[in-house]
Amino acid sequence: MDIKIYNLKKTFGPKVAVDIEEFCINSGEILGLVGNNGAGKSTLFRLILDLVKADTGKVLSGGIDVSTTEDWKDWTGAYVDDSFLIDYLTPDEYFQFIGKISGRTEDEVNEHLSSFDHFMAGEVRGQDKLIRNLSAGNKQKVGIIGAMLLKPQVLILDEPFNFLDPSSQSAMKRLLVDYNKTTGATIMVSSHNLQHTVDISSRIALLENGVIIRDIDNSERQAATELENYFDVQ
Amino acid sequence: MDKYKLYKLIRTLDGLKEERHPMFEKNRFMKLLAWFMIAYYGAILLLLGAVLPLGMSGEYYGVAAFHVFDGAFLWVLFCDFWVRFVLQETPAQQVRPFRLLPVSKKFLMHTYLCRSGFSPGNMFWGLMLVPFGMLAVRPLLGWGGLVLWLLIWWLMFVANGFTYLFTRAMCMKNILWFLVPAAIHGGLIAIMTLPDRNPLDMPCTRWMYEAALGNPLPFLIVAGLIALWYWANYRLQIGMLNDEVANVEEVKVKASSQMSWLNRWGAMGEYMKMEIKLRTRNKQVRMQFLVGLGCMLLLSGIQYFTDIYDTWFMTSFICLYDYIVLGMMTLIVIMCYEGNYIDCLMSRRESIYELLRAKYYFNSALLIVPILIILPLMISGKVSVWMNLGYLMLTAGVLYPLIFQMAVYNRSTLPLNQKLMGKQGNTTQQIVSLCVLFLPIGLERLCTIVAGEVWGYVILMVFGLIGILTHKIWLRNIYKRMMVRKYINMEGFHCK
Repeated sequence: MDIKIYNLKKTFGPKVAVDIEEFCINSGEILGLVGNNGAGKSTLFRLILDLVKADTGKVLSGGIDVSTTEDWKDWTGAYVDDSFLIDYLTPDEYFQFIGKISGRTEDEVNEHLSSFDHFMAGEVRGQDKLIRNLSAGNKQKVGIIGAMLLKPQVLILDEPFNFLDPSSQSAMKRLLVDYNKTTGATIMVSSHNLQHTVDISSRIALLENGVIIRDIDNSERQAATELENYFDVQ
Repeated sequence: MDKYKLYKLIRTLDGLKEERHPMFEKNRFMKLLAWFMIAYYGAILLLLGAVLPLGMSGEYYGVAAFHVFDGAFLWVLFCDFWVRFVLQETPAQQVRPFRLLPVSKKFLMHTYLCRSGFSPGNMFWGLMLVPFGMLAVRPLLGWGGLVLWLLIWWLMFVANGFTYLFTRAMCMKNILWFLVPAAIHGGLIAIMTLPDRNPLDMPCTRWMYEAALGNPLPFLIVAGLIALWYWANYRLQIGMLNDEVANVEEVKVKASSQMSWLNRWGAMGEYMKMEIKLRTRNKQVRMQFLVGLGCMLLLSGIQYFTDIYDTWFMTSFICLYDYIVLGMMTLIVIMCYEGNYIDCLMSRRESIYELLRAKYYFNSALLIVPILIILPLMISGKVSVWMNLGYLMLTAGVLYPLIFQMAVYNRSTLPLNQKLMGKQGNTTQQIVSLCVLFLPIGLERLCTIVAGEVWGYVILMVFGLIGILTHKIWLRNIYKRMMVRKYINMEGFHCK
């Protein structure tokens, strides 16, 4: 599934959060989205997920305008922040809830979950703890697994490496790359970690003040130097 | 930062907290209404203060009016105590925003305790006591007596305030703590309403008279009580704050919470499970349920055991109240709790529609509770079977659809697991609540007058049945209108 953006603009008072004339994320790409704080990464994701109203323009997911129907929700999984988590459920209950409301059986959900065993590192399932009582890292894992559980063709993750320990960050990278290879899904990931972004992305968009100022091909991992120069990383 | 500057900063921040609350603009009308109500009750107290001395001096020959009034001072204190549950926050709630900042928690707690204990609200009763004292106390005991009489009243309100704060804090740990003051007050009321004479009348009168004459003992006792309650409150509330910072509270998840019997309904069963867990695992929602249940039991109990509510209006009101209260308490803020995880719901196809359906089925199933509570009233003949059936159907088929309309307009997130004492709903929610509580009684009256006792209720049942049978249509309509307003609503939900 490809995602196309046309003349998309969103402002909050005088602040321009997103201003993108035209942009296309091709089917099967892993797009890394980088930018300083307040660049508009999360707002862009929320616009793509139809969670905020665009001032102008539109987003097409698989050719469908996301603001006109709900069809695109069938092939989209996302985790942006805590508001994607039902915090008074346990992780197992949350996964079963997501699976069952989408027509999966308990066994199917358990089977899907088994592919995340390494990422969960035995800390998420079977805890009998509510999500709100989990550590920030484990909450993050629950949100990410919840987004990937139904094998969506479009996956959107906002800063997925946050709060994760180094082992989990490494597992996360492998998980995303493998997922992209096996399913051909289009993946959008924002991150402040340039190294991780370069490691997993086939293409990187640099966002500043709501505008995509650079669109960098990273098929050969060649974006690292350009990004380091831009962000003045020593 | 020195303590005076910190105190000034706390005052400034408290002002900003109110001004910048997302609901501030929306609640302006309610604030005006609240001020109107304060002025209204203030005027009533003033009137009482002016009229009571005249009435009492005429009624009890040979006894000074203020002796008669003082003999009943416990009634005033009981009333003052319970009104505080609606109006007053505890210091632990007020200190919460500062708990992770590098400022002295002890100083903050002392500040808020002093402000709570000695708040101007404690002087509200003065609107009645000052004119009463001027007319009834000053002529007999002079200005000095009047001042001392008012002073002992004020000190008793302060002590009452600290008693409330302690009880309220304990209720936050376990709601059943409210039974302690309820039992004490109930016991004293039972003693005071003994058929022959009130044995507490003379001691109360004597107590107040000694104070007005300048005997230091009543003042020392009340001051000692205030000191004791202050210390107990400080220890309790600072402990609660520390517990919260350490996040020691965890809900125990039981194996039985799988609720596998709901699995047969597939996706709908999952939403139903969520409705049950919403109520059992979140303090705020659980407390609402328990308060609603308590009110139902209290009103129905009074009606069953006494005849003071044996009028058509009260019989009708209690029957309706029993049916609607549990649903109304959570449905009037429908979607406000879901605002905490609105993105999870909005990013899945039609999940809000399914959620609305689950809410309808759950609340309809919950009507079994009022049926059981009203059953003894029905057997005793105080509530007719027809009235019972009429309100049952009307609730599920007419009143629920009316309250569900709030799903389109509610747009503020309510915390799931925090106490919200003192926060009132917005204007629309208040109006819908009043409509739901009182319009059906008018409708019932109209139908029974026009069509007779039995056919009047049959008409209500028909209205209800139409709503029940068409529930998918009106729920779909609500869902569509919600989706039209989704951006406005989500903007509100995100401003937690």
